[in-house]
Amino acid sequence: MQPILKIDLCTGKTHDYQIPSEWERAYLGGSSLAARILYEGLTADLDPFSPEAPLLFLNGPLSGTAGPTTGRFVVCGKSPATGLWAESNCGGFWGPELRFCGYDGLWVSGRADRPVYLWLDDGRLEIRDAAFIWGQDTYESQASIKSDLGVPQARVLTIGPAGENRVLLAGLFCDHGRTAGRTGLGAVAGAKNLKAIAVKGSHKPPLARPEAYLPLRSESNRIVKSDNIAQVTHALGTAGVADYADYIGSMPKKYYHQGVFETVDKVSGSTMAETILVGVSACHACVIACGRVVNLGDGIRRKGPEYETVVGFGPNLLNDNLEEIVRLNELCDRLGMDTISASNTLGLVFHLYEKGVIGSDEVGFPLAWGDTRAAGRLLEMMAKRQGLGEWMAQGSRRLAAHFNAEEEAVQVNGLEAAYHDPRGVTGMALVYATSPRGACHNKSDYFFVDWGQADQSLGLDFYERQAGAEKAANVARHQNWRAVCDSLVMCIFANLGPDMVVDLINAACGYDLTVDETLRCGERGWTIKRAINHRLGLTRANDRLPKALLEPLADGPSAGFVLDLASMLEAYYQARSWDPVTGRPTAGLLQSLGLEDVRRDLWG
Amino acid sequence: MAVIFPSPEWLKSLEAKLNSDTHYAEIARKWEGDLAFEIQPSGPVAGPIYYYLDLWHGTCRKAEVLEDLTAVKPVFVLRAPYENMARILKGELDPMQAMMTRKLQVQGNMAYMMRNVPVVLDFVRCAREVTSEILV
Repeated sequence: MQPILKIDLCTGKTHDYQIPSEWERAYLGGSSLAARILYEGLTADLDPFSPEAPLLFLNGPLSGTAGPTTGRFVVCGKSPATGLWAESNCGGFWGPELRFCGYDGLWVSGRADRPVYLWLDDGRLEIRDAAFIWGQDTYESQASIKSDLGVPQARVLTIGPAGENRVLLAGLFCDHGRTAGRTGLGAVAGAKNLKAIAVKGSHKPPLARPEAYLPLRSESNRIVKSDNIAQVTHALGTAGVADYADYIGSMPKKYYHQGVFETVDKVSGSTMAETILVGVSACHACVIACGRVVNLGDGIRRKGPEYETVVGFGPNLLNDNLEEIVRLNELCDRLGMDTISASNTLGLVFHLYEKGVIGSDEVGFPLAWGDTRAAGRLLEMMAKRQGLGEWMAQGSRRLAAHFNAEEEAVQVNGLEAAYHDPRGVTGMALVYATSPRGACHNKSDYFFVDWGQADQSLGLDFYERQAGAEKAANVARHQNWRAVCDSLVMCIFANLGPDMVVDLINAACGYDLTVDETLRCGERGWTIKRAINHRLGLTRANDRLPKALLEPLADGPSAGFVLDLASMLEAYYQARSWDPVTGRPTAGLLQSLGLEDVRRDLWG
Repeated sequence: MAVIFPSPEWLKSLEAKLNSDTHYAEIARKWEGDLAFEIQPSGPVAGPIYYYLDLWHGTCRKAEVLEDLTAVKPVFVLRAPYENMARILKGELDPMQAMMTRKLQVQGNMAYMMRNVPVVLDFVRCAREVTSEILV
C-alpha cells in the first residue's frame, strides 16, 4: 500500500507513515487495518475531543481502482458518542482522490489554534485558514473551498455547523450528500478546528498484477450491474427495499413502537421513482448508482433520501410526506448530522413527549407525530445546541438519561439504532448487540440475509426470519465477511460471490489468499475492534438491546414476537470463541489470530 | 397424473391452478403484467426453454411455450439455469434467496416488482403445488 500522511495540527508538522507489510496482508486495509494501527493509542482515558485523539482516514487496496463499488474510504478513531471504537465509511469521490495523491490515508492529530482546512495537492500538503468558512453548511463549505483554491475539480470532505459545535451526531460530508455519518467523528474534527480536507491527485493507485486485475474488474462490474439487488437500487435507490421491509415486518414505525403505518407506501423508493425522481448519482466508478436526484417542483436538483433516511424521517415519525423527508434530509446534511442518529433522537423526543416525560416547556413548542415542521426546528436546535437541543446534541442515550428515562432510548452503547427491527429479522438482534460501534446495520447487513441473501458460496445457511440461537454462527460468519468488505472498503450493495472478491484482492495486492484465509482476515479485524472496546471499558453487559426492541409489537407482521436475546448471545459467544462470562475473545482465539499483544493486554 | 417440469403439460397445469386458486386470486387481484421464463440449459435440459404467462387481476389469461422471446415484450423476464428453477420448484431453494444470491435473474419494472413481492411468492407457491415430478 501507499504510505499514510501523518499531520499534527498543533505544530503543522507532517511525515509519512509506512504501514507494516505484515499488517497489510493480515488486515487488508480500511477499518480493520485502522484498528490495528490505532490499537495502542486508543485508551480509556483518551478524551475524543483532546488534541491527542486521532482521526485516521483510510482507503482499501481496491479504492480508486474502479473495482466493483470500491470508491469508498473510512474514517476511524474514538467515538465521542459511545466512548468506544469509531468508524464510518463514505462513498463519493474523496477517497479515490486521496489515493491519487499518493497516499492511502491521512492520520490527523493535534488541534489547530484557529479554524483550518487541509489542502493536499498531489502529495503536497498545505494548512490553510478556514475562518471564512467556519459556520458554513456542508454544501456551502465545499463550494467555498473549491473557489478559494481555484480548483473546481478538488474533492472536499467537510463538517457542518454541527461538527463545529461538537454535536455527538455530527459526521463528515463530501460531494452531493455522501456521508461518513455514524459515531460522531465530525465532532472530533470540529474539536480539532478542522473544517475540511480538500484533495486533488494525479497518481494511479498501485496494482500488483494489473494484467490479472483488469479483466477481473470488468467481469465483476458486469456481474454487479446485472444483479437483481443492483437493478433495484439503481432503479429505486436503497429505499427500493422499503416495500419489502414493511411487508416482512422489519421496518420500524413510530419510534419502534408500532407495526403498521397505513400510508407507508407513499414514502417508498418506488413512489419516489414514480413522482419526484429526475436523475441518479454514483460514487467513483460505481456501476449501480443508487444515489437519487429529485426535484420538488422548484427546479432545484436535490439529493433524494436513501432507505434509512426515508424511514427515519418518515414512518419513524409517522410522516408519510416524501417531499418533507427530502427537505429534512437536506437540512440534516447541510447542518452536518447523521440522519439515522438525528431522526432516531427526534423519534425519542416525540416519544417522550407523548409519554408526558417532557412537555412544551422543555421543547419550546407543542409536538405531534408527523409534524415535520417541528422536526425541522428540532434539527436546528440540535445542531446549534439551543434549548432542548443541548441535550439532543448529545444523542438519545444522554437525552433520555437527562430525563431519567434511559431505557426509552432505542440505542446500543450510545449509537442510535438503524431502521431494521430485530423483531422482524432476528439476526439484527445480534448485530445491534455486538457491533463494535453500537446499534449499526452496516457491520453486518444481516437483514438482507434474513430476507434471503444467504449466500451458500459464503457458507451461509438460510434461517427463518424470526429464528433464534441457531443463526448465531451464521451472523458471526456474515460479520466476518462484512469486516472484509470494510477492509476493502467495498459497498455492501456489490452482490459478488466471495471467490470473485478474493480474486480481486489477490490480483490487486499480489497475494494468494483463499476465501477461508480472507474470512480469517475479517475475523481478525472484528476481534481487534472488540479488544479495543474491552480496553475502553466494554463488558458483556454492553451486549444488549433497548427495552423497546425486547417488547412485542401489538400489530403488523411481527406482532407478538418476543426476542430471546440471552440464548442468541450464548450461542454467539460460543460460535465466536468469546468468553461467556466476560465477553472477551478467548486467549486461544487471540493466539490463533496472531494477536499475541492483544492477548497479553486482555488476559495478562 | 404426474406433471413433469419442464413440459407443456406442466405449464397448462400451472395455468389451471392460477385460475382456480382462491388465495392467488385474492393476493394478485391488482396484478397487471405478463411474465416470461427463460429456463437456461443445465443438467438434463440441453437447450433454452421459454414459457410465457399473461397474468391479469388474479387470473392467467394465456400460458404458452415459445421458441424465443422475440415476439413478446413481457413486463418481467425471469432467467435461471434449469437446475436452479428445479430447486425452487422442489422447495430446496427459497425464491427470495434465489433472487438475492445470483441464482435467478429478474428483468423488468423494479418498482412494480418490489410493490408486489407477495404476489410473486404466491405465484411460486402455485407453481410448486402443480409440480409432481422434476426432470432429472
